[in-house]
Amino acid sequence: MAEESFLTDDFLRQLINVGEVDILVGLPTHNNSKTVGAIVQTIQSGILRGFPRERAVIINVDGGSRDGTPELVTGVSIDDMRPTSNRFALRTMHSISTKYGTSPASGVAFRTILAAAELLRAKACVMLSPDSGNIEPDWLSKLLSPIYRNEFDLVTPTYRRHKFEGILITNLLYPMTRALYGLRIREAYSPEFGFSPRLGCQFLEHYVWNDGTDGAGVELRFTTAAITGKYRVCQSYLGEKVPIERRAADLVGALRQTVGALFSGLETDFPIWSIVDGSKPVPTTGPDHEVLMDPLRVNRKRLHEMFATGVAELESIFQSILSPETLAELQRIAGLQEEEFNYSAELWVRTVYEFAASYKNSAINRDHIIQALAPLFRGRVLTVLRENRNASEEAIEQSIEDLCLEFERLKPYLLQQWKTRE
Amino acid sequence: MPLNRDALWYKDAVIYQIHVRTFHDSNGDGIGDFEGLETKLDYLQELGINAIWLMPFFPSPLRDDGYDIADYNSVHPSYGTLEDFRKFLESAHERGIRVIIEFVANHTSDQHPWFKESRSSPDNPRRDWYVWSDTDTRYKGTRIIFLDTEKSNWAWDPISKAFYWHRFFSHQPDLNYDNPAVREEMWNVMKFWLEMGVDAFRLDAIPYLVEREGTNCENLPETHAVLKEFRRKLDENFPGRMLLAEANQWPADLRPYFGDGDEFHMAFHFPLMPRMFMGLKLEDRKPITEILQQTPEIPSSCQWSLFLRNHDELTLEMVTDMERDYMYDSYAESKTMRINLGIRRRLAPLLNNDRRRIELMNGMLMSLPGTPIIYYGDEIGMGDNINLGDRNGVRTPMQWTGETNAGFSTAPPERLYAPLIQDPVYGYPAVNVLRQRASEHSLLNWMQLIITVRRSTAVFGRGSIEFLYPANHRILAYVRRLGNETVLVVNNLSSTAQAVELDLRRYKGNIPIEMSGRNMFPRVGDVPYLLTMGPYQFFWFRLRRI
Repeated sequence: MAEESFLTDDFLRQLINVGEVDILVGLPTHNNSKTVGAIVQTIQSGILRGFPRERAVIINVDGGSRDGTPELVTGVSIDDMRPTSNRFALRTMHSISTKYGTSPASGVAFRTILAAAELLRAKACVMLSPDSGNIEPDWLSKLLSPIYRNEFDLVTPTYRRHKFEGILITNLLYPMTRALYGLRIREAYSPEFGFSPRLGCQFLEHYVWNDGTDGAGVELRFTTAAITGKYRVCQSYLGEKVPIERRAADLVGALRQTVGALFSGLETDFPIWSIVDGSKPVPTTGPDHEVLMDPLRVNRKRLHEMFATGVAELESIFQSILSPETLAELQRIAGLQEEEFNYSAELWVRTVYEFAASYKNSAINRDHIIQALAPLFRGRVLTVLRENRNASEEAIEQSIEDLCLEFERLKPYLLQQWKTRE
Repeated sequence: MPLNRDALWYKDAVIYQIHVRTFHDSNGDGIGDFEGLETKLDYLQELGINAIWLMPFFPSPLRDDGYDIADYNSVHPSYGTLEDFRKFLESAHERGIRVIIEFVANHTSDQHPWFKESRSSPDNPRRDWYVWSDTDTRYKGTRIIFLDTEKSNWAWDPISKAFYWHRFFSHQPDLNYDNPAVREEMWNVMKFWLEMGVDAFRLDAIPYLVEREGTNCENLPETHAVLKEFRRKLDENFPGRMLLAEANQWPADLRPYFGDGDEFHMAFHFPLMPRMFMGLKLEDRKPITEILQQTPEIPSSCQWSLFLRNHDELTLEMVTDMERDYMYDSYAESKTMRINLGIRRRLAPLLNNDRRRIELMNGMLMSLPGTPIIYYGDEIGMGDNINLGDRNGVRTPMQWTGETNAGFSTAPPERLYAPLIQDPVYGYPAVNVLRQRASEHSLLNWMQLIITVRRSTAVFGRGSIEFLYPANHRILAYVRRLGNETVLVVNNLSSTAQAVELDLRRYKGNIPIEMSGRNMFPRVGDVPYLLTMGPYQFFWFRLRRI
């Protein structure tokens, strides 16, 4: 029996009314009423500046907001029905909305947007996040132009970040995807990116959507799919990224969405990444990174405690995941005083690779594996903070580069672990 | 067929614009004339139009295509005699066709006897018939219209050693409407033609009649006073005649020229025309509905005049810079197709000779509120010749047959006032009246049909308009209503098939009857009315409650 369509009749009717478009902007939301109106206007402004003649639509996919978010999105259509509509717009710019479920699920939202892009035969698409506090109109051009005008298939962003922001990206996601897949993509997991219809259609068709995860981390899998499919990838510098609300860090949740997604793709992608040697830069518009050097207060003592406690309490789990040598070394550094603590790059890479290999074929629940990585990551963060407390921008970047090279150098170790655990 | 005596006849009119020179040459001198035009009145009657707008045909040095008049009360010898005109006028009236002529009120040619007298001496009685000055510094706030050719609105006259005022070319001195004798004489000119039986005047360049220091000398109250005076005299002495204003302005700025129904009967809606082309190219109704939303109400006796193309360039003055760029890129990719702020092309080449788009544009022209004007030759899809200078590329001889000189003239081809269109697509062997008459599905026969349908009801000329805003923005839909009559118009601006749901709940129970084929469509119910439309298709439905 054929799978029931995940697009509602009402949404389909809206798509019919919109018709073929050149530019499609995807905007997943969930209770974003405070900001979404301004963001949609920024998007419209960006389209009018960068693509004034193109047919454009903003598609909001809402995860069950109760604060009127979808109505705010559709209320700012640039059309001919409102006397206050923007007279500088040559044509109608639709904002349409559809809802799914009662809680956000990035995979469902992204799948809906990919389906809409295919049905509307969009020529270039971009995903934006209502959680970005400083979306600028020129983000649209930066993420869409390489697709629309230069036939790239995926445009990932680079940002200006604080030197201690995004350590999960700089110490795991970036170096590991770089080492495995061979392309130096700084933000393989980002809520903002542009993509071509051919990449979107391919992913929509072949991705396993019903894996029970609601598509958590699908953005990262989209990036790796672009690499493995040999699509044309580039990066575009967007400037500083400011989250609207600095939420209390949910490290385990973040690891699930990112590292979980990365690990889960390794098995199917093995034939590809296993033969990749070294890495290559990707075409980049603007700098591929920028660092904010403002001082930041961090509770290092707490990080140290959480690492030491985690290593002690999760020993039995680590015994199933890690090699005896790695575990012994972790236990050794767990015993060090905070001032002497050092979670070296080599040890960190071995740890991550052993977790990745274990994730493939372990008796332990995969989610438990991801959770077990959390205290170890905190230990790595502590070392990064300590090493870079007074480092210059160049030195920070050099340390990231060194770590990337370490991931590349130790890739045979991952392959060995991978085969050992088969 | 006698003329309809309704004073509001212009609301029901379908106007056909002609230059006498271009239509038919009766005496073999290579230039069209009134005798030739008269022989083609049957063709125009058959086409279904009921008014002709004639471009200037008066004696003139022809340095501005006849808009530089040297004698208001006569006919240029190339086009015939006053008697020829009178005969043409009577023949037109016999066929129920009214005649609108040009009234170039703002200025004369410098070859006009009035100006020759005026410049001859400061003491000449006609000195004050024009605007003279010892300096060229008066009226500094006035823009120069023909920036390409004129450096000032003042020109030095070496004969009378003074400056004279001109808003257009320097060989076109402005008349001085502060002088009562001028106003009286210009009324006498109008009276001359009205007594002969002319039905209406198109008044050229009306915003510029009067000058005042410290203003931009446009749209002044004194100018309106002059025009109101003309109108009052017209109504008193010649009821049922009509004045049509030419002023390339935004609708809101044009509104005062209707006054309280006591100034102009009609005015061209200049900003709508480029937006119809823009909407078609964008496949989006927004430009059209927006400009019509901005169009003010006009007195009930007044009417907008709508057109797709005319003898001038497709003017892009009333659009934004961004819209102008878009129009240039979309419709005039070659710079040679551009002139001033516009595009010097005919309708068919503008639309890539796409029959579906030509029909759709004419369908909108005939169904939007106003009186439509068809430019000669567009009913058969004539082409243009962009290699001819100025706007002459859209003023080539009418193509009657595929034979010598397209049946326009018996003169040797080299003596024609302008070369015929000869290219394989638009040339007269391929595009001509004779051939299209013989073809059941020709554009000419289709135009005849659409004009017949348009004239079958007064709702298009006189009815109200209410836009429907279906969610599909490629569909332009509106309801025209007059009394008990209701017509639903649905236009697909897209090059692809479209589905549209129309909210017709207030017409529940009505049966839509498609007006050209008279076929019934399903009755309107409670649910949105679904139509599927082919590329560039349009429907006119009469909504009947039976």
